[in-house]
Amino acid sequence: MSASIQPKSADPELTLISVTKSFGGHDVIRGIDLTIEKGELVVFVGPSGCGKSTLLRMIAGLENVTSGEVTIAGKTVTDEEPYDRGIAMVFQSYALYPHMTVAENMGFALRLQRIPKEERRKAVEKAARILQIEPLLDRKPAQLSGGQRQRVAIGRAIVREPRVFLFDEPLSNLDAELRVQTRIEIARLHQSLGATMIYVTHDQTEAMTLADRIVVLRAGKVEQVGRPTDLYDDPDNTFVAGFIGSPRMNVLPGQVIAEDRVKLAGVEIAMSGLSEKLAPGEDIQIGIRPEHFMEGTGPRVDLTIEVVEQLGSTAFIHGSLGQGLPVVVEARSARPAVGDTVSVTFDADKTCLFRSTGERIR
Amino acid sequence: MATVGRRERKILWAASVPMALLALSCIYPLWFAINNALKDNRGYILDRFGWVNDPTFENFVTAWGRARFSEYFLNSVVVTGGAVAVLLITASLAGFALAVLRFPYRRLVFIVILASMMIPVQVVLVPFYKTIIGLGLLNTRIGLILSYTAFFLPFSVYLMAAFYAALPRELTEAARVDGARFWQVWWFVMLPLGTPALITLGILNTLYCWNDVLISLLVLQRERTLMVGITALRGEYSTNVPLLAAGIVLAAAPIVLIYLVFQRRIVAGIAAGAVKG
Repeated sequence: MSASIQPKSADPELTLISVTKSFGGHDVIRGIDLTIEKGELVVFVGPSGCGKSTLLRMIAGLENVTSGEVTIAGKTVTDEEPYDRGIAMVFQSYALYPHMTVAENMGFALRLQRIPKEERRKAVEKAARILQIEPLLDRKPAQLSGGQRQRVAIGRAIVREPRVFLFDEPLSNLDAELRVQTRIEIARLHQSLGATMIYVTHDQTEAMTLADRIVVLRAGKVEQVGRPTDLYDDPDNTFVAGFIGSPRMNVLPGQVIAEDRVKLAGVEIAMSGLSEKLAPGEDIQIGIRPEHFMEGTGPRVDLTIEVVEQLGSTAFIHGSLGQGLPVVVEARSARPAVGDTVSVTFDADKTCLFRSTGERIR
Repeated sequence: MATVGRRERKILWAASVPMALLALSCIYPLWFAINNALKDNRGYILDRFGWVNDPTFENFVTAWGRARFSEYFLNSVVVTGGAVAVLLITASLAGFALAVLRFPYRRLVFIVILASMMIPVQVVLVPFYKTIIGLGLLNTRIGLILSYTAFFLPFSVYLMAAFYAALPRELTEAARVDGARFWQVWWFVMLPLGTPALITLGILNTLYCWNDVLISLLVLQRERTLMVGITALRGEYSTNVPLLAAGIVLAAAPIVLIYLVFQRRIVAGIAAGAVKG
């Protein structure tokens, strides 16, 4: 994890200090440290089973913390019940109470706090106005579409005016179009409420578009934390390089031939700006994003085109470099044909070098 | 709709014969009771199996008044109502705890409850009777209510636990995040959501409690419930069958009515108990 991108604030909204979680001796979360500032939208992203939802549930108080500490607004809440943490959560399955109307669902937390009916009504109507669900207030969840249910679930969270909003893969049950629409609405909501939000997803596009900062998780550990563009441009390891970005970064085998020169598919590449010295003869991995091919006047390699995915504005070429290294290349202006062998350049300054163990060489 | 072939039709016909016989064996006693309850004793002796010629409700009046059926009826209503109410509340709470809460030995508790469903009532009659005497509950309605609760609770808990386990876990979690304490999660979320299962359970337990003779006979010896009361209509040497039939019809009427109204739910409840969990 890059320490530099952890915000330095005297008054963070949420901190995780060496938190771990074990299920029957199996470590699911393995010592996570994280600081989240007030008003930040932080996205936990990672493949299935990486522990992102477990970590969110630990923050919510729905899972016990095996060791470590969770603080919210400076108060240690590690052993507190969910309702004493000042959080609200939007579940993947919406979790709306089916026997209550939309208004009753949204006002349930206030009802439990014995807030007078009139105040409750006003709070519910205010949240409903923000989410444009006023006409739905008297309906039951079964009478709503997936998108409407999602809004109600978000509305239920807004009404509580929590310190931290927690979203557990809230868009995964929606169709592609609605997912994009709701994603934009959540981003808007974050801006208008200025609230601290933690959002869990396995979809790196959601993470990239929504996040102020992304936390990439793998097997219960943080692989990297940073702004979306930082993670994209400057990944710490091959896992982050592969996970962030679609199509994923090409990670190709190469070899160091001098302290500042490497070889890829028989082509020598001069590396500039490295602070670490390269050891000649070392096997390394060279990461090149698909869009960094066919630009600049850098090294030139032969590409055999096998499949072309035409997307209209751009095209993705699946092919092989040199002696059969599989790559994906983005071709914005060219209209390549399957079976052709073309010579492509790539921008050497934008390549990332990794050791054979996957760690980044900077 | 799929067409039924000749072979399938033959199988359907073959299957319908035993089904018709089974239905007849259920309907005939009912018809026999109603038919003879409307006869006087003389009419019954002259023609036991024939249709009633001159129907009279005299037997119903006699059973209700002179044979103290009104008292027995009240007893049955009180103990059945009481036991069903206690059963529903207890089963809902226990089902919620077993299905949703995580506590040590949860599985063991569930297995013990399941195992207790397999013990026949007759096996525990002696210790049960001694316990009832020891607690001073003999000849009390409370005693019978608690006895019914004890005997029918395992199935009730099993049914509710199976029902609650099938509900999304996120609902209780959402309620906890919303600020609901344990009792509030049960009261505001689990109890209303469990209504369909509770209705089914209520009907099934009403049937069990109302129809019971054995436990009632042991606990409520001085007073009687309706089903036990029927036996009082039998003489040692001779029995007034039309009066007995009227008593049977009076005792069975509420339960038949409940069965007819809630038929679908009863079947659903039995199926739920059979396959879930």
